[in-house]
Amino acid sequence: MSAVHSVSAITTAEQQHRIYKAFDWIIIPIVVLVVIGAFHIHAMLTIGDWDFWIDWKDRRWWVTVTPISLIFFPAALHYLLWENFRLPFGATLACGGLLIGEWANRIANFVGWAYFPLNMVVPGEIIPMALCLDAVLIISRSLTITGVLGGMLWGIIFYPANWALIAPFHVPVEYNGVMMSVADLIGYNYVRTGTPEYIRIIEEGTLRTFGEDVTPVSAFFAGFISVLAYFLWLYIGKWFSKTTWMKRI
Amino acid sequence: MSTPSTEMGGDISKGLIGGKRIAIIFFSVFAVMMAWRIYQQLFAWDMGMDSFEPEFQTYWMNLLYGQWILEFTLAAVIWGYLLKTRDKDVFNITPQEELKRTFTLLAWLFCYVWIVYWAASFFAEQDASWHQVTVRDTDFTPSHIVLFYGTMPAYILAGVGAFLYARTRLPQFAENISIPFVIAVVGPFMILPNVGLNEWGHTFWFMEELFTAPLHWGFVTLGWTALALGGLLIQIILRIITLTKLDDEVHVTEKMSD
Repeated sequence: MSAVHSVSAITTAEQQHRIYKAFDWIIIPIVVLVVIGAFHIHAMLTIGDWDFWIDWKDRRWWVTVTPISLIFFPAALHYLLWENFRLPFGATLACGGLLIGEWANRIANFVGWAYFPLNMVVPGEIIPMALCLDAVLIISRSLTITGVLGGMLWGIIFYPANWALIAPFHVPVEYNGVMMSVADLIGYNYVRTGTPEYIRIIEEGTLRTFGEDVTPVSAFFAGFISVLAYFLWLYIGKWFSKTTWMKRI
Repeated sequence: MSTPSTEMGGDISKGLIGGKRIAIIFFSVFAVMMAWRIYQQLFAWDMGMDSFEPEFQTYWMNLLYGQWILEFTLAAVIWGYLLKTRDKDVFNITPQEELKRTFTLLAWLFCYVWIVYWAASFFAEQDASWHQVTVRDTDFTPSHIVLFYGTMPAYILAGVGAFLYARTRLPQFAENISIPFVIAVVGPFMILPNVGLNEWGHTFWFMEELFTAPLHWGFVTLGWTALALGGLLIQIILRIITLTKLDDEVHVTEKMSD
């Protein structure tokens, strides 16, 4: 028999309301901070190099790996927040938190310490995807529909969401008789210790023979894998939300 | 602490957060993190490029040794204090006292995740910026000394402290072991031992930095374990619901598959 009592500590509804408000005030910063920390370390070590550098924001791998990797935490938070609290903003919370962490670091460290120019290290735009994923959840009230429709939408709109950001850097320039993009030119001028001249290398693959279809193919593929990853991470979110107690470990 | 108790004639529902202690935690952690960051700004480029120079030993290795001494001392003092002052009658505390202590546990968790932010977000990605412009000749670089041997032990101190607080002062956590709590503390703790793999790999396969390299994925997997705080959050909420239940209140649970 449990030694833990089940007696209430209060007597009035006013006290109860005050305690619930107090709980909200302390739990919100806790959740936000842990989401920033955990999601950021996941993102920086799975898609970080694409996200760090403007000359890595290519039309094939960046478009493919970023949505796939970034749907993990939104899916887990969808399970935790929607199933338990009927809160439909797991994706926006995750992506907003990630961008806070990224911007703080890019400004204070990439620019402020390593002296890269800010427009070389601006993070990718992910808020539109998050809003769409959460919107599908609100409208459908179904994690299954969110996974299928929202997951596909998540992958497909990533590149369009970033068009305005990267367009000026994909303008072609001629430099010492060689044609390259502005992004490449910036990359050549800021040599990094372990980073290849990325876009030039990635543009030599066979997908290039598809010409202008590269980006839509990559985005569609990213959407497809994002759907699968969403469901996998729903279950991982479910596992992490378990309230298991044990006598011994 | 600023929380009033019913024995003192106060209303238990007032001052539960303890704004003063949250402010102290927030600004103390912020000050330490800023001190580390300013130290890097002042001495990394001038004294931290070549580990064979005597200046490197003075400015960076001595910082590392100082951190280690301080961390082991703080761990012994904080964890020892929590264990030494444990409540030996924890199963007979009043509901009011338990509610008060639950909010103290939340203050511990706030301290934990506030440091986790600095370690896993700010200083972790900062490491990429440093190693993308400098070639390392030691495992103990100006970014690693702060990240791996400063901020990570700091959140381990707070995380284990939070766990020990709950285990020694809250009846539910004293009676049984919360598995999500264990995962949320032990998982991020294991990131520190994983540094061994990181350094081994960097010296063996690939000296410089490609952040998405599989060598780093141990950090990723262990970082996921912080999500277990979600399970702990639900455990705490369920207990608070019990501790704040009114006599005539009927709990209605929505069918979540509607």
